[in-house]
Amino acid sequence: MALTQVDQGLLGTNAQYTGFKNRIINGAMVIDQRNAGASITIADSSFAVDRFIYVASQASKFTAGQNLNSITAPAGFTNYLGFQTLSSVSIGAGDYFVVSQKIEGFNSADLNWGTANAQTVTLSFRVYSSLTGTFGGSLRNSAANYSYPFSYSIPVANTWTTISITIAGPTSGTWIAATNGVGVSVNFSLGVGSTYNGTAGAWASANNLSATGATSVVGTGSATFYITGVQLEKGSTATSFDYRPYGTELQLCQRYFQTWGGTTGNEYAPWSGLGYNSTTAEGCFTFICPMRSAPSLTQVGNWVFNDVASDNAAGTLGIGTTGLQTTQMRSSGATGITQYRPYTLRASSTASRIQLSAEL
Amino acid sequence: MYKLCKTLTNQEFVIRLSDNASIPFDPDNTDYQAYLRWLEEGNTPEPAEENQ
Repeated sequence: MALTQVDQGLLGTNAQYTGFKNRIINGAMVIDQRNAGASITIADSSFAVDRFIYVASQASKFTAGQNLNSITAPAGFTNYLGFQTLSSVSIGAGDYFVVSQKIEGFNSADLNWGTANAQTVTLSFRVYSSLTGTFGGSLRNSAANYSYPFSYSIPVANTWTTISITIAGPTSGTWIAATNGVGVSVNFSLGVGSTYNGTAGAWASANNLSATGATSVVGTGSATFYITGVQLEKGSTATSFDYRPYGTELQLCQRYFQTWGGTTGNEYAPWSGLGYNSTTAEGCFTFICPMRSAPSLTQVGNWVFNDVASDNAAGTLGIGTTGLQTTQMRSSGATGITQYRPYTLRASSTASRIQLSAEL
Repeated sequence: MYKLCKTLTNQEFVIRLSDNASIPFDPDNTDYQAYLRWLEEGNTPEPAEENQ
């Protein structure tokens, strides 16, 4: 049968057939490469799930994690990102406790922000807290000098509330083009001092992280804050959440972070190289997919160089010439290495990890 | 705190001593950007040991 007419419902704002409308990666909080769902006492500039960075002016104020405290996720979701106050803080003017996603310029440049053609966007999410009241957040540019504080209400404690906020795109401010830098930061406040607060609902030439008068989660001991279904899309209506296949979402995250090990205890890493001398081997490490920038490498636990016949402690692994897809990886302090002998690289325990970060 | 390093082929990078992360000299790498801010504050990294 010939296709003569497209169902107008498929073109409407509630259509569920438009993929990749969501500029947020891991908005359903399904990917947690660093912690595998374990809760952590979260440190400044660290991640409790992929792509959502926590920044704070004071240390050790929250425990955080994927599905923290095992509450029931909102309908249609299986995961959420949770925070719980470890010790309450009386917020000073310069304090900030914020969870953010920095959207890469390649994924936001078409919004044409900072021009006369600036596009309207809608931010939507599900949120749940032990507190009620007005909460806050912001959108902010890369230079942290132009921002839009927003506020939203949680009227009932310990109940999921769906939030939708439509924001007219800014015609001013400096916004980066299609590059691998920060296009837009989407910030959710857990407590922000007056230095970083501004009037909700208006763009301003300021480094605002939240809205004046917003509730401070960190101000109450043991307070909880859970969020999921975060979506930023072009247009003035919040449409259904953009569910993407797990493998797709994982690969989107791996542009910014990749990890090996931490599973069976004898997992191989994608490295092949040769012995240089008795304590050093060097070779090429290949990434899962191209990364946003040349990544930093962190080694956790011990790894071994294997020559089929034996395992040899790899010592300290480090990088050399690093691109977007490979790095020269070398060791120092290895033992039992034979010059020019080929080796593979293998974890020596379930605690062994190699992590690459190219986060924004 | 940071420590400069060189590879066998004299490629330079820096190690963040708090977690031993190896950081490439890439201006787009945010860890490298943080290292540059640390230098601007007047700090000095530990010198490199040759050919690590």
